[in-house]
Amino acid sequence: MVGGGVIQQILRRKLHSPSLATPVRSWLSSKKAHVEAGSSGVRAFALLGAGVTGLLSFSTVASADEAEHGLACPDYPWPHDGILSSYDHASIRRGHQVYQQVCASCHSMSLISYRDLVGVAYTEEEAKAMAAEIEVVDGPNDEGEMFTRPGKLSDRLPQPYANESAARFANGGAYPPDLSLITKARHNGQNYVFALLTGYRDPPAGISIREGLHYNPYFPGGAIAMPKMLNDEAVEYEDGVPATEAQMGKDVVSFLSWAAEPEMEERKLMGFKWIFLLSLALLQAAYYRRLKWSVLKSRKLVLDVVN
Amino acid sequence: MFHPTIWCDSDDYRADVEVVDPKKCLEESCKPKCVKPLLEYQACVKRVQGDESGHKHCTGQYFDYWQCVDKCVGPKLFAELK
Repeated sequence: MVGGGVIQQILRRKLHSPSLATPVRSWLSSKKAHVEAGSSGVRAFALLGAGVTGLLSFSTVASADEAEHGLACPDYPWPHDGILSSYDHASIRRGHQVYQQVCASCHSMSLISYRDLVGVAYTEEEAKAMAAEIEVVDGPNDEGEMFTRPGKLSDRLPQPYANESAARFANGGAYPPDLSLITKARHNGQNYVFALLTGYRDPPAGISIREGLHYNPYFPGGAIAMPKMLNDEAVEYEDGVPATEAQMGKDVVSFLSWAAEPEMEERKLMGFKWIFLLSLALLQAAYYRRLKWSVLKSRKLVLDVVN
Repeated sequence: MFHPTIWCDSDDYRADVEVVDPKKCLEESCKPKCVKPLLEYQACVKRVQGDESGHKHCTGQYFDYWQCVDKCVGPKLFAELK
């Protein structure tokens, strides 16, 4: 506990946050230093001092760690949250539009193919038309050369940068992560991504963010490289839904949730079905076991004493 | 204390007016519920204003205030969205 207190001291000094703990702690340690071996009463006091030091150190930890962990995001009532709830597919379609127009310039989604969108957000014709808009490198051809062709359903969603180094170079050293699994790759992913995208605010008094970074309380550390991307009416929805910041955030997170967990609907149906069936099987098995054991459980043993 | 109800939905009757972001609107309407942490934050801002060392900041009070607002907005927001 005292060792933990030392570590928190070092952390606190590094983060320059003021605290009353330093003078108190040194006072307590000096008190402890005075009493060496001896009676149990002295030892009890030393233990008490260690405990108080630990507690005080923890209070400084709280203030140092707050920005490090980021502001805890609230839980939003997602329409696909229930045990038998499906995705809102209209929302997924709008979310893909937001991704394509706002996010795709920096973020890849290299695990999703155009064919995955068929039957989820677009018809086959629509998806084919979307795929045909991009140019894909293919080959080699019969002459041994690579060539470009319009995209097909089987192609992956296009990547904005050739590799990670190019991505970092174009974004001030920061790598815009691939979004294929982002809602599973972050703790409380769906709520976190929504809170992050819609949570750009002015920093608190006393916090200054260096040039090139932006303040976001939900981002661990508070300084994120991505600027605020969702602004009212940045996108014009095909279905006429007003494209407010919150609406676009909800739709894009629905899309990203689907991208990370496309099997969710089938999984929920399977889970419900098999849990129900296995419960019936459990009742049947319990009855059968008790039936078979009833023979032994209802036997009588008689002690016959012969004089 | 009487708080006037603020409507944060985007109904058709406001179609000619520019869209109002429901989240910002709800955060404004939740401010009265979170007056205590807001006052704590403002008190902290006053204390930090005169600081020359650059070490003082109000992250704690800021987080407390926004956590209160988020808790208030969270359950209500999606009802205002499509």
